[in-house]
Amino acid sequence: MSLVSALYLGFVAVAALIYYILPAKAKPYVLLAGSVAFLAVCGIWTLGFVFFTAVTTFFAGKIAAGKGEGRSKTVVAAVAIVINLAFMCAVKYYGVLDLIAENINNVTKATDGSFLAVAVPLGMSFYTLQMTGYVLDCLWGIIPAEKNFFRYLLFACYFPYMTSGPMNRYGELSEEFRKPVSLEYENIRKGAVRIAWGFFLKLIIAERAAVIVNAVYGDHETYTGAYVLLGVLLFALQLYTDFMGCMEVAIGTSYIFGIKIPENFNSPYMSLSIREYWQRWHITLGTWLRDFLYYPLLKSAPFIAIGDKSKKIFGKKKGKKVPVYLAMLVLWTAVGYWHGGLWKYIIGSGLLHCFYIVGGMILEPLFAKMRKPFKPEKLPYKIFCGVRTFVLVLIGFFFFRAANVPDALQLFKALFTAGASPEGGILATGIGVPDIIVLAIASAVLIAVDIYKFRPDQNDEPRSVLALTGKLPIGVRIVLLALMILAVIVFGKYGLGYDSGAFIYARI
Amino acid sequence: MTREEVYEKLNEVFRDVFDDEDITVSDETVASDVDGWDSLEHINLLVAVERAFGIKFTMGQTTHLKNVGEMVDVIIEKLG
Repeated sequence: MSLVSALYLGFVAVAALIYYILPAKAKPYVLLAGSVAFLAVCGIWTLGFVFFTAVTTFFAGKIAAGKGEGRSKTVVAAVAIVINLAFMCAVKYYGVLDLIAENINNVTKATDGSFLAVAVPLGMSFYTLQMTGYVLDCLWGIIPAEKNFFRYLLFACYFPYMTSGPMNRYGELSEEFRKPVSLEYENIRKGAVRIAWGFFLKLIIAERAAVIVNAVYGDHETYTGAYVLLGVLLFALQLYTDFMGCMEVAIGTSYIFGIKIPENFNSPYMSLSIREYWQRWHITLGTWLRDFLYYPLLKSAPFIAIGDKSKKIFGKKKGKKVPVYLAMLVLWTAVGYWHGGLWKYIIGSGLLHCFYIVGGMILEPLFAKMRKPFKPEKLPYKIFCGVRTFVLVLIGFFFFRAANVPDALQLFKALFTAGASPEGGILATGIGVPDIIVLAIASAVLIAVDIYKFRPDQNDEPRSVLALTGKLPIGVRIVLLALMILAVIVFGKYGLGYDSGAFIYARI
Repeated sequence: MTREEVYEKLNEVFRDVFDDEDITVSDETVASDVDGWDSLEHINLLVAVERAFGIKFTMGQTTHLKNVGEMVDVIIEKLG
C-alpha cells in the first residue's frame, strides 16, 4: 500500500473513524491493530521482521536500563544491536528481501507480480537505526525502559512512519503515544493539508521530474551539456519532493490521530554551507548519527589518545581537529553506506560530503583571507554561499542517481561535451509541453513555500505556512484546499494503468 | 568544592578550549552564547571538563545537558 494512493487514504479514513469513535483507553490499540494490518499487507515476512526487532530491542532495553552489572548490560545491548544491524547489512548487500519476496511470489503463484504491487518495502535502514537507538538510549540512561510491551510495539510499528521515517526517538514519542487524544478540528485540518501537500509534491512534481531525469541519466550519448545540467537539477527536485512528499503524508497522517512526529526537512536547498545542509536535510538521521556514532566515537579512549598525540605533533589548535576529521570519515562513510551498500552512495552522499566539510575546515584560514574583501552579512555574499553549497550538493547527485560510479563519471563527461541537441529538444525525453508548464508552476509554488518557511538559523522553528493560512477566512481556506486537491486529481500522475513510482527513500 | 569554585575552574577550561580569555559562563549559558561552541567542539569541551575535574560524563549527559548550569550540577554531584 503506497502512501500516495486512494487505498491509503481510505485506510486512514477508516482507521481515524474507529479511532475517534472508541473510548480513550482503546485508542492506542486501534493504532496498533491498524499498524499490524498495514504491515500485514506488506507481507508476513515484514511483519515477522518488525516483531522480531520489537521483541529483541524491548527486552534488550529493559536489561540495559536495569540495575544489573554495567558490563553484562552492555553485552546484552551490544548483542541486540549487532543482530539487528547484521540483518540490515545482509539485506543491503545480498538483497535478502528481494529473495524473500520472490519466494512469496512463488508460494502465492502471483506470476504477474501482483503481490509486490500492493507491498510497500519497509524503510529498513531507518527502522533498524531507530530501534537500536532505543536500546542505546536505555543503556546510557537517557530514558527509562518502557514497561508496557504493547505501547512499545506501537512505537515499533506505527504505520505512518514505517515507509521511510522520520527516524524517531522513544524519549520524544512515548509521551505522544501516552497522552489522551480527543477529536480536534486543528489536528484534522493540519493533517489533511499536509497529506494533500505530500500528494502534490510526489504526484505533481516528483513524478514529472522523473521523466526527464530518467532519460538524461539513462542516455549519455543523446543528452549532453545543458541537458545533463537540467537532468541533475531536476533530480535534486525529484529526490527532495519525493522524500519530503512521503514525510508530509506521514506527518499529516499522524496529525489526524493527534500524534506529533518530528519534522525531517527545513528548506535544505537554501543552506549556506554543507554542514548547514545536513542540519536541514533528513534532520532526524543527522541527529541520530551525531548522538549515537559521532559523539561516542570522539569520546572513546582511542580517539582521545589520538587527540593527545596529534596536539603534541601539530600544536593545540590544529591537533585537536585530527580526531574530529577521523570521526567525520567514519561518520560520512556510514552515511553513504546507510543510503545503500554501493560505492555510488558511499561517494555521492558520504565521502564527497566528508571531503567538503573536512576540506573546508582545513582550508578555513585561507577562506577567511579570501572572504575579507566581501561583506559576509550582506545578501549578495549569502546568495553566493547558497549557490556554491547547492552546486556542491548537485555534484553528489551525479553519483547518487547514476547506475554506478563509472556511469556517474560518464555523466560528468557528458556535461562538458558539446553534442547536438536531440530531435524535439526536451520533448525527446518523453515529457509533454503541458507537463512542463505544470512542473514549472508547481515548482514555483514549492520554492515560494520554502522561501516563506526559511529562517536563517537552522535551529529556529521554520515559519509555518499552516499558521499563515489559518488566519485566512474559512471560505478562502476551503477554496485553497479544494484547489490543491483538484490540482492533484487533475494533474497528479496516477490513475488506472499508472503506477506511481515507489518512494526513493523507501528502498533505502 | 563549592559552586563558585567549580565555576572558577570551569571558566578556565572554557577559556582554554575556545581560546578566548574573556569568556565567563553562568548557569544560563548555552552553546549559542559561546563563539565556536558547535557540535564539533562540544566533545572537546566535555573531555577537557572531565580532565579538569577528574570525572566522566555518561553518554546521556554528553548529549542532553541543557545549559552550563546543568553541567555544573552534574560536576558537583559527581565530585560529591
